[in-house]
Amino acid sequence: MKEVSLFIPCTVDLFLPLIGEATVSLLRRAGVTPVYRRGQTCCGQPAMNSGYRKEAKKAAKHFIELFGDDEVIVSPSGSCVCMVKHHYPELLADEPEWSRRAAEVARRVYELSQYLVDVLNVTDMGAAYQGKVAYHESCHVLRGLGVSTQPKKLISAVKGTELVSMNQDDFCCGFGGEFASHYPDISESMVQDKVQNYIDSGADLLILCEPGCLLNIGGYLSRHHPEKRAMHLANFLAQNGREMPR
Amino acid sequence: MKISTEKFTELAKKEVEKARARPFLKMVPHSLYQKRKAGLATLPDAAAAQAYGAAIRSEAINRLPELLEEFEKKATANGAKVFWARTAKEAREYIVNLASERGAKFVIKGKSMVTEEIGLNEALSDHGIEPWEADLGEFIIQQMHRPPFHIVGPAINVPVEEIRDLFMAKGIMKEPTLDPVALGWAARRFLREKFHRAEFGVTGVNMAVAETGTIINLENEGNIRFAKSSPRTQVSVMTLEKVVPTMKDAMHLIRLLSRNCSGQNISAYVSMDSGPKQDGEIDGPEELIIVIVDNGRSGIYQDPKARDALRCIRCAACLNICPVYRQIGGYAYGWVYSGPMGQVLMPLLLGLDKTQDIYRACSLCGACKSVCPAGIDHPALFLYYRSLDVSTDHSFKGKRRPWREALFFKAWSMAVQRFWIWDTGISVTRPFINKNSENGVIHNMKGAFGGWFRKRDLPPMAEKTFHEKWEEIKKTR
Repeated sequence: MKEVSLFIPCTVDLFLPLIGEATVSLLRRAGVTPVYRRGQTCCGQPAMNSGYRKEAKKAAKHFIELFGDDEVIVSPSGSCVCMVKHHYPELLADEPEWSRRAAEVARRVYELSQYLVDVLNVTDMGAAYQGKVAYHESCHVLRGLGVSTQPKKLISAVKGTELVSMNQDDFCCGFGGEFASHYPDISESMVQDKVQNYIDSGADLLILCEPGCLLNIGGYLSRHHPEKRAMHLANFLAQNGREMPR
Repeated sequence: MKISTEKFTELAKKEVEKARARPFLKMVPHSLYQKRKAGLATLPDAAAAQAYGAAIRSEAINRLPELLEEFEKKATANGAKVFWARTAKEAREYIVNLASERGAKFVIKGKSMVTEEIGLNEALSDHGIEPWEADLGEFIIQQMHRPPFHIVGPAINVPVEEIRDLFMAKGIMKEPTLDPVALGWAARRFLREKFHRAEFGVTGVNMAVAETGTIINLENEGNIRFAKSSPRTQVSVMTLEKVVPTMKDAMHLIRLLSRNCSGQNISAYVSMDSGPKQDGEIDGPEELIIVIVDNGRSGIYQDPKARDALRCIRCAACLNICPVYRQIGGYAYGWVYSGPMGQVLMPLLLGLDKTQDIYRACSLCGACKSVCPAGIDHPALFLYYRSLDVSTDHSFKGKRRPWREALFFKAWSMAVQRFWIWDTGISVTRPFINKNSENGVIHNMKGAFGGWFRKRDLPPMAEKTFHEKWEEIKKTR
């Protein structure tokens, strides 16, 4: 069976490993074999976003060394895929050999829903969930990768699920990495608006494809609306919308 | 105007509170954003039209010196006079002197951002020449002594009750009313008298066409056309980057500017001036003076990356869609420009050291880039400025970052390429983080991430990370 290399973002590895497990389970259901390269650390986004290019470059080189020959690299995070796809080639542009390798890797990296729908051509993952769900269009998934119909197709194929529309579904939730802790006044107000739109949508579950947004929206819900849930698409599909014990 | 870009965080906090208390503030940019959507839908291929706009602006900026020379030649041949101002001060002084020489008692002004940038109104007032803003929004904020809240709608945040009270207090109208149309008429009647006696008009420029030496203005109120055609002396102030190669290019940008700004297919007034009144013509200004302001822009042009910031055509689509602008409005940015267009431009004009929060207070969501008709990649520019700041690059006055942050990323970069350090780091950090966990949730944590926990929780670090659990996961099927 075709092997697929798992690119597990550090947020998933350290805080949300269940997203990783769900990713494994979905890929297996879709008929491919997930493999995991030990030695993965961080894609370099925090350094890149803070302006530490030299440091981000080190992360990029480490990633390229580690994943270099893998034919397909799949990750349950749009922003980490963006980092590899768009920022690595630019970051390494002045080193010809690395630049070539970065371009190669960039071609082979996919966001999970993008890989399932566009490459493997599957939409029905065999999941079932009775209820209404809304979908949050994460910035890097939507504008960074142009991925929007893919997760919606996967959600719509879930038995019993109604995908409802949500106002300002394509607006940033206010995460933005360091942005959330450096500018809490603005960030909090953004996540508050996002959650209000989710509540107003009438959905009982909010689905997204970005671990960062999940930490942010989930963290806000946990404090202010514990009855409301947000969930990564991978977990929604793999576990039929149920929380799994940690 | 006092520049307070260094107080961004503090100002933003106040503005967030204000905006939450007055939900209509958030409705205004949203309704403009909806209008833009409808406006773009009238184009047969909106994406292609936007890309064409980006191509025009890219060419204009990359040929800037040559196009400016051509523009000067053509404009001069048309009978206009061109004055080059290296700095804001030079521009101010030139216009003030000119107004004094012409014996102008007052100046009638059309809406223009560049005259805000160079602080022209204050300079005129200081010399006893009263500037009268003739755009309704500008007129309101001038009377209130406030900066623009929005680059296109400077007073969109001012409630109608405040405008009524202001107009009553200033004797602009006699009977109080809340009817916006009646308020508009009151301002018109008040300003009409100024227009009729106007000797000296000052306006901005939307586009300067190199091919023909023509300056173009777009507006909806007619005040710019009035300020350009009625006085004896017309002064049109533009910054270097307003130039476009051909009239055809300008025509396309007009299609885009109107739609991206207000959703209109074309603004109510479009005026083009190729020189002053010619022999045999019955109206128009006797002299047309075009002031071309550099104010740091030729330095920006020198940097092939930063140069892209000059593509902006001031449509404000980026403000209307920006989730940060929607939370804080225009005042927190601390100067005349605001929103993503201001965030890419102000750091270059004022220095990276004085604007650190301006280019950092962004979640990099990319909404601005997705709507920009000039093809500006705002997030990429923010990343560039941040990197210049970290490397203390002096070209735009990069400032050193706090040593704690620099040290953190130094350590991080060592760990990120050596898994054993990374893994050891995790084992060491985990107990420190997880000691804050109560029933599987972290509600608070001291230190650099304190901001997170004011209104948000965080899951604790996994007892077994994905990589620690992989061998187990591999066996399950």
